[in-house]
Amino acid sequence: MALTQVSSNKCAGGFQKVFEHDSVELKCKMKFAVFLPPKAETHKCPVLYWISGLTCTEQNFITKAGSQLAAADNGIMVVAPDTSPRGCGVEGEDDGWDLGTGAGFYVDATQEPWKSNYRMYSYVTRELPKLINDNFPADPERMSISGHSMGGHGALICALKNPGKYKAVSAFAPICNPVQCPWGQKAFAAYLGPDRAAWEAYDATVLASGYAGPPLDILLDQGRDDQFLSASQLLPDNLIAVCSEKKIPVVFRLQPGYDHSYFFIYSFINDHIKHHAKYLNA
Amino acid sequence: MASPLKKSPGVKDRHDDMFGNGRIESDINSSRNQLQEKVAEMENFAGHLEEIFLTVEENFGRREQHLEHHYTDVLQTISQRYDERAARLEDEKKRKLEALYTQLLACGHALDASKELIEEAKEVYRSQDKRVFLKTVVPTLKRIEEFAKEEMDLTLATNLDFETPLADLSDVKSMMDSINIVPAPSAPVINPQMANSATQTSLRVCWSLFSDDTVEFYELYYRLVLQNAPLDSTTAPQVRKAKVKETHCTVKELLPGAQYELWVTATNTTGISPASEKALYMTVPSPPVIKQRQCCSCPEAALIRWESGNPDPVDSYTVELTELKGSDGNEKGVTESVVAVPTCQCLIQLQAGHCYLISVRAVNIGGPSDRSKEICISTSGTFFYLLEETAHPCLSISEDGFTIFYGDEELPISAMALDDDNFTRCVAVLGDLIPVRARHYWEVEVDDRTEFRIGVAYEDTERNSYLGGNNTSWCMRHILTTSRHKYEFLHSGQSPDLRITVNPVRIGLALDYDWGTLSFFNVDLEQHLHTFQCQFQRYVQPCFGLDSPGALTIHNGIEAPKYAFIEHP
Repeated sequence: MALTQVSSNKCAGGFQKVFEHDSVELKCKMKFAVFLPPKAETHKCPVLYWISGLTCTEQNFITKAGSQLAAADNGIMVVAPDTSPRGCGVEGEDDGWDLGTGAGFYVDATQEPWKSNYRMYSYVTRELPKLINDNFPADPERMSISGHSMGGHGALICALKNPGKYKAVSAFAPICNPVQCPWGQKAFAAYLGPDRAAWEAYDATVLASGYAGPPLDILLDQGRDDQFLSASQLLPDNLIAVCSEKKIPVVFRLQPGYDHSYFFIYSFINDHIKHHAKYLNA
Repeated sequence: MASPLKKSPGVKDRHDDMFGNGRIESDINSSRNQLQEKVAEMENFAGHLEEIFLTVEENFGRREQHLEHHYTDVLQTISQRYDERAARLEDEKKRKLEALYTQLLACGHALDASKELIEEAKEVYRSQDKRVFLKTVVPTLKRIEEFAKEEMDLTLATNLDFETPLADLSDVKSMMDSINIVPAPSAPVINPQMANSATQTSLRVCWSLFSDDTVEFYELYYRLVLQNAPLDSTTAPQVRKAKVKETHCTVKELLPGAQYELWVTATNTTGISPASEKALYMTVPSPPVIKQRQCCSCPEAALIRWESGNPDPVDSYTVELTELKGSDGNEKGVTESVVAVPTCQCLIQLQAGHCYLISVRAVNIGGPSDRSKEICISTSGTFFYLLEETAHPCLSISEDGFTIFYGDEELPISAMALDDDNFTRCVAVLGDLIPVRARHYWEVEVDDRTEFRIGVAYEDTERNSYLGGNNTSWCMRHILTTSRHKYEFLHSGQSPDLRITVNPVRIGLALDYDWGTLSFFNVDLEQHLHTFQCQFQRYVQPCFGLDSPGALTIHNGIEAPKYAFIEHP
């Protein structure tokens, strides 16, 4: 599996790089960003996977979130993949911003025409980690996951569906209960078909109610002035209610005045890096 | 045959030369040094002798002068006596001679008169003329008869013996005696107290005499000086007395840490000297008493507080610390001391993760007291007790001092006697955190039905406001509503909007002065709950409050978990 370096910039004492490779799961060329902290020159480092939101590429997070200094301080490698397969020519993939390109929803599609390429869940949880572990000084035993919006949903389901695989999980304004919101219903119907039982396998709130793995410490930040919160796309209260009932530890912070943007992420990314560092460097 | 014999000492000599030169030189050096020392000693000794010689000569001269003076006095007295006596005898002689002469004259007159009478009688007898004879014989006879009647006093008018009254030479005698008598000594000079010369119950007292004085024995008087005692002589402590021959004395059976007034007199056969000046001496103080409940510690330091245990002030205190080593803590390390501590508390720098035995001694001029009872300080974590004087009257505190209760029952108004220091509104109490700008960690155990406020506050935080409701306190608050558990992280009455899905029942608090943070954790989950950012300008105290009846328990002296300070690796 050949990696092609697309860019490399010195950053925060380490390097912010972008690579391209041929994805087996997605059957297309995929780009991903990787931040190598200075510590990676001499040590194996833990890896934080950042899962981006709707319409994003690997670029948004690395250029807007300002995570590199904190990651360098804590000796954490940060890997940010793209949000969907690109250029596969799937019918309808570029028709809307909330389905298809840039909107993979981190599921393995079971429906035509998506099912052969739109396998972001397997890409993010299996193919990409293997690629990283094989090509970078990463400690395969220490990985965690975080994301924003659709990526927050992705981070939560990856953690909840793979007990013990991720040492920590956090999210910014995640879509907490996709089966109950317009975005989720549209995407799940397309990727997974009409059977709602199949949707539930990718719904954080439903997954939390059946979670039986080791304790997960979940940090959630949500802007109070987030337009998608008021549009009932995110539904954090549903997840909190289930976690309270199931005693899954969550600290949910409603940040007054913040919206859904990367400005919001930038404001609290340090808290999240520290949250991950606590478990990754324990 | 001679050559080989001669050769071997030669070889040996060379050998000595090669390796012995240095030794000989050093031998010479040491000998020279020894000699120089001897010379110096002898010079010193000669100096002493000269001094002694001069002193002897001087004393002798003084003595000689004294004797001569005395001798002159005696001679003068005697010759004066002689002159007086001679004059008196001369007078007497003159008086006696005058008396005798007068008597002699009287005798001569009488003799003349009798001779004349005899001549007259003879003439009468020889007279031829009878008629004349008859005419004159009768008056002549009458005269003779009359003359015969006059009796002549022939006894000596004066006594032949001279009156010689006994000479009173007692003064001369005493003068003679006093040549060999010593004068009564002058007042001795009592020395000020020597450092470290006392014990808790005894004092070693020294004094000196004037070199001219001869003393048979001294009498040392001493009396307890009562501080703040009324000037009423009836209650004045009794004066005690000791008789000694030396110029020092150790008086015993005294009170510890007390001041004594001492004075001394010297006595010889002639008499008693005036008393010396009065000197004040102190006995060694009693050991201080460490106030266990007012001691606190953290991994870097310990604050030890104690009571003097002495009525009189002491000069200073010495704090001694010994590190306990070995897995069972039986091995004792070196004892270090912090000396000249002026007050009844001391902040001692320590190393983290060790165990120390700490004790205190009180020190005055008399010396250091015995060690106080030791306190064991473990520097694994931050340890503090509660400042019970700050507790709201409705709050009760367990015997061990670490659990606080807020009971259901209404308190009578009388029980609400409030001090300035008590919380009056918030049912709360402060802790006594060591004043060290380091990292501190402690835990609080609660029931998830308990409504509480825990955090930190400046020591002078308003007592009539709620913790977190002002800008001098920072706390986590748990509110129980009918539908859910609500958590607030309050400062100046403001809290972030935050939801916690698992109710913490054991909460870790991590205070970091350097980074200006106070963080809260769910200990059971190792879950970070919230961090306050504040550059604490002054020292803060832990605070604990209960908003409804219930209890909470403080866990102290525990090592901070690694995650507690992970924010600042």
